[in-house]
Amino acid sequence: MTATDILGLGGCGLLFVAAAAVSFPLPRLSADVRYAVMLAVAVAVFIPIGGLSVAGTMRGTTGDLSVPTLILAANACVSRIAGRTLFAPREWSALLRAVAVAGLFLYPFALGFTPFDPYTLGYGSAALTTVLLFATLAAWRAGLNLIVLVVVIAAVAYLAGAYESRNLWDYLIDPLVAFYALARLGAAGVGRYFLRRQS
Amino acid sequence: MNARQATSLAAVALAFAGLYARGLLEPSAAGFIVRQGPAETRSAAPSYKAQLLPNSSVESVHSATAIETSDGRMRAFWYGGTREGASDVAIYMSTYSPPTGKWSPERVLVSRGLVERQLQRYIRKLGNPVVGRDQRGRIWLFFVSVSVGGWAGSAINAMASDDEGENWSPPRRLIASPFFNISTLVKGPLVQLTDGTVALPAYHEFLGKFGELLRLDGEARVVGKTRLSWGKSSLQPVIVPHSETEAVGFMRYAGDPPVRVLMIRTGDGGGHWTAPIKTGLPNPNSAVASVLLAGGPLLLAYNNAEENRESLSLAVSTDFGDTWRVARTLESESQLPRAPVAEYSYPWLMQDRSGDVHVLYTWGRSRIKHVVFNQAWLEGGSQ
Repeated sequence: MTATDILGLGGCGLLFVAAAAVSFPLPRLSADVRYAVMLAVAVAVFIPIGGLSVAGTMRGTTGDLSVPTLILAANACVSRIAGRTLFAPREWSALLRAVAVAGLFLYPFALGFTPFDPYTLGYGSAALTTVLLFATLAAWRAGLNLIVLVVVIAAVAYLAGAYESRNLWDYLIDPLVAFYALARLGAAGVGRYFLRRQS
Repeated sequence: MNARQATSLAAVALAFAGLYARGLLEPSAAGFIVRQGPAETRSAAPSYKAQLLPNSSVESVHSATAIETSDGRMRAFWYGGTREGASDVAIYMSTYSPPTGKWSPERVLVSRGLVERQLQRYIRKLGNPVVGRDQRGRIWLFFVSVSVGGWAGSAINAMASDDEGENWSPPRRLIASPFFNISTLVKGPLVQLTDGTVALPAYHEFLGKFGELLRLDGEARVVGKTRLSWGKSSLQPVIVPHSETEAVGFMRYAGDPPVRVLMIRTGDGGGHWTAPIKTGLPNPNSAVASVLLAGGPLLLAYNNAEENRESLSLAVSTDFGDTWRVARTLESESQLPRAPVAEYSYPWLMQDRSGDVHVLYTWGRSRIKHVVFNQAWLEGGSQ
């Protein structure tokens, strides 16, 4: 098994553990039991069943997961187990907005509806790097540390060849987190709309 | 600025310095390497021979690809199983010996279970293989696999051989799409580039149907790509360079009538491509193959009908695709024997170092057929 396999499977395993943490009624359990349950899930997800683990099955479907997905998954685990979040709500909201914008720019064009393919910018394009640099500096100036952290981790992982992909986009975003961001922002927008109508 | 902010800013500076440096190291534009034809043809007398490849293993076979080895033999690969898309579909291999004119019994080279274990991810079925050689002489076998859904859920995998196809590396996954890395398939042959990288024609089938040229480094990692077309009607590109900067490409057409083979061109080494235009050759939504023959003519194998794959013809162009002459018909209603299912499709074309031209294609979905002829036979065609 290669290092990229280990990291890819680790990411998929983490997402499965996060899904389990959100699904189980963990807050009703004692702290010791919570940790024990999640540890058991974390081990089980990597045990091969019929030659392939749950993480491997998931990886076949989702591919390797981007840094925002992994940080969201880690936060879900921490919040359900320890009862606290890693960053302030303002930070999560800003990250989801950034992911949603990136997703709307990347996916429709990458799926071949126009001659323009923004995915090619991920192969070392100075233009993408420069836009990302200005966005990261703006986030840093606004005190949005989560976005800065995501970009730095994604850049380091890309430079280190952590995954099979040599495209920076694959470290910055994946369809799961893009859909999640759009759904969360859409739901929030709908909620605000009905609140305004009621008031 | 406090210490935490300063640390954060330093991390940003270092990360982006790395990104800019990586950008400088990425491969820049490179030209095509035009395949060198044979120094001389073996015989001026027309020669033609056809035979079916062995298949004692499975009911259904499809999508053959082949390569000449350094000792003058030829290795062919195709996929087969109980039916297309079945979980028992595997990639088969057979070797052709020109002195005896015979193919070895087929054997399984890649199975679904093997790929699943070695790629550490769920695999549902296998599909099209494509074999090619890089400038270092390594043979690469690319093949399609699907984890979820139909062919629109495909991804490409690659295996390498340093000993002419005797032994193979474990497969590795090519990452070519940001959308779950799905919907990337192969059919056309590999093209060598002057900087040592290679270009692999690929196509997408999820929502749209369009072609791309993937640029691969020495370890078959995707390090760039160029869109060959866009929209919903062009797939299975075949790229034929005819100079370092010029190439012509052909694609299967899946759009509205009139149904014709699509053609694209580049004049800058593949950096930019013309929009696809329809040639005068019919295309019943089926794969085509093309090769630049010794001396310059362009050869195209295609289904010469608008509705079905029941005829297979060879057309020749001496002006890189502007005009075509139907040179020979390999399969038609009048030619015997006919396959139980009259489908003659997915041709693969190559010219070996002796000058013989080889065509491999799906024969009735039950066998792979191998036709070998020389240019004298091709030029002697009556049609």
